Amino acid sequence: MYEQSPPIDAQLVAGDQLIPVDTRLTSRYSLMVRFLNGNGFKDGAEFTDLLIRNQGKEIGLGPCRLICEPNIDGYAGRIVFLKEVYDLKRLVEENKVVRLQSSFLNVPLVLAHKKRVKREFKNYTSDLTYDLNVYKSLFDKLDEEYAEEAQSIRDSIQMAIINTEGVRFHRFLDDRLAELERMVKGFNRAEHESHGFYFRRQLWEIILTAPFMRRTNLKPRGYAGDSEMMSMIYENGYRGKSTFAKLMHKHPVGHPGAQAVRNRRKVIREMIRGVGDQRNPSGADPLKILSVACGPACEVQDIVQTAQDPGKYDFTLLDQDRNALQEAANGIDRVQRRLDGQVKVKYLNESVRTMLKTPNLPGKWGRFDFVYSMGLFDYLTPPVAAGVLGKLLKLLRPGGELVIGNFHVSNVSRYYMEYWLDWVLYYRTESDLKELLRGAPGDDVSVFFDETGVQMFLHVKRHESH
Amino acid sequence: MEGSMKLEIKPLWDEVERVREESASFLTSKGLEKDAVFSLSMVVGELVENSIKYGKQGDEKALVGISLDVSGGLVTVEVTNLVDDTAYAHLARLDRTIQWIRGFQDPFEAYVERMKEVARRQMEDKESGLGLVRIAYEGRAILDFFLDESEILNVSAVLNLE
Ligand SMILES: Nc1ncnc2c1ncn2[C@@H]1O[C@H](COP(=O)(O)OP(=O)(O)OP(=O)(O)O)[C@@H](O)[C@H]1O
Ligand SMILES: C[S@@+](CC[C@H](N)C(=O)[O-])C[C@H]1O[C@@H](n2cnc3c(N)ncnc32)[C@H](O)[C@@H]1O
Ligand SMILES: [Mg+2]
Repeated sequence: MYEQSPPIDAQLVAGDQLIPVDTRLTSRYSLMVRFLNGNGFKDGAEFTDLLIRNQGKEIGLGPCRLICEPNIDGYAGRIVFLKEVYDLKRLVEENKVVRLQSSFLNVPLVLAHKKRVKREFKNYTSDLTYDLNVYKSLFDKLDEEYAEEAQSIRDSIQMAIINTEGVRFHRFLDDRLAELERMVKGFNRAEHESHGFYFRRQLWEIILTAPFMRRTNLKPRGYAGDSEMMSMIYENGYRGKSTFAKLMHKHPVGHPGAQAVRNRRKVIREMIRGVGDQRNPSGADPLKILSVACGPACEVQDIVQTAQDPGKYDFTLLDQDRNALQEAANGIDRVQRRLDGQVKVKYLNESVRTMLKTPNLPGKWGRFDFVYSMGLFDYLTPPVAAGVLGKLLKLLRPGGELVIGNFHVSNVSRYYMEYWLDWVLYYRTESDLKELLRGAPGDDVSVFFDETGVQMFLHVKRHESH
Repeated sequence: MEGSMKLEIKPLWDEVERVREESASFLTSKGLEKDAVFSLSMVVGELVENSIKYGKQGDEKALVGISLDVSGGLVTVEVTNLVDDTAYAHLARLDRTIQWIRGFQDPFEAYVERMKEVARRQMEDKESGLGLVRIAYEGRAILDFFLDESEILNVSAVLNLE
């Protein structure tokens, strides 16, 4: 990709001499250089500074050296930096000066952060780290023992281990989580934050082994709860390079918080089927359905099961993330191929935070028989959640229904998610959730729960006369 | 004690200090502790500065709205401004930044990450990108935003008084 990078206007400084050069990015941290005006320098020549002009500003990148690499497009070689090392890619592309070493500026701050952590919690974390490493090396040793076997044999041995020692290991994790909960239950938010930070620093290597934990912590798409994480939750299986990794991956996706996500998928499926049977028994007039923050939209695949189903529904799927819509489309594609039929789906790549601006949304998108949003309100604070909810209500046809999911404050997986997964939600009580309606009149309102009691649903049924 | 306060100002830098002071006395009158008053006035200041910087420019009628609400153990700060074409370009960044900050259980992590970038040598400009991070880290508030039908941007910060 660096081949296409544009030339950068620059000057090298040697003593009081200014040497005009033509440079180009050749990697994140080095530049190719071509001397202008017939200048030539030997391999290893050092310069006191490199001044580059970027978006109208001159920046000195400090002492540097020439490494000759002839024959690259008339360039003399590369310039590498001797003291400060800058991220040149971000400099050129984002106009940001980011020094490679600058993270060290924060060392005192980060080191001091541990002072906020209680002794008892440090002991807990330290014991846990020790224990997990003991387990890890045991499982890793076993993996080595049967590494020479054929794939199918390896797989069945691994399953046998998972079903025996793995079960005991999961029980050990359950116990440690119960202990964590006892310890942090009384913490205020600031204490949770600093203890969680400390916890993840200590357990970082372990966290990175498990694909699910790795992803929730690193958040490659910039936010928690992306469609890939959701797919892992729906799969609820063993992923990872080793037995230990697989066990660490499986444990959180099997926890009640994740079970609640799987349950809500079923709840939505049942509700939509019910509404379909009631409002559209003949299947003649397709039921208009909107999913807000649809993610992989797995429930759509559950709803459209038989050859008659595609004609019964008309879906609109909205998400801020193109990748999520793509994943949803792939899943629906599989259904279409299986049923040899066309499912009516419209994809909207929008954020609910900016969709509110669209005047006359009902005119643009039409009105819906069923509007639902799962895994979105857990991220919206009251002013925004209330605004979004008001807008969604306006999209309902008379007699139409709206269902909003929100994790309840009592989520038993809360500390697991916050401390291990770095996944924080905006939890609500029943009344918090109802309050978001800000007294919208003329509708039947109720709140119900899934089997785990973790997932709470706000159900609004618009009156027929609306 | 519960209650709310609303202000409207012209998008002028000189107004920021006044808003900060009025917010502080309102919050003090509602019985908030000194630390909370101090950090919440910082939050108000940062949000108002952003509205002035990124909101609709050169329009006499484009006011910045400030609302503070104390109820149910929550303090909600909402700052609104009109949006024009240049501000639109900033909304994607605002969205990304807020989701990024809220992606950390401990906003200290966002702060540390951002400090690396701010440790710049020669390129000082007014977009240091620290304002929202300070709201989360020092202000301990949860950020969010939405744009409404009248092209009004509402950026809010919610603090749980615990
Ligand atoms: N009211 C707003 N309207 C539109 N965009 C905004 C608004 N507030 C913030 N942004 C966008 O979010 C980015 C981050 O805001 P933040 O306050 O953290 O940094 P900054 O204003 O650039 O720098 P600093 O606050 O440190 O002076 C801004 O650079 C801008 O792109
Ligand atoms: C936790 S997932 C839930 C997905 C799906 N509803 C489910 O239950 O499987 C959250 C989804 O919300 C989307 N999302 C988050 N914030 C959003 C916003 N402001 N506007 C639209 N989509 C958003 C994300 O891109 C992600 O796909
Ligand atoms: Mg700012």
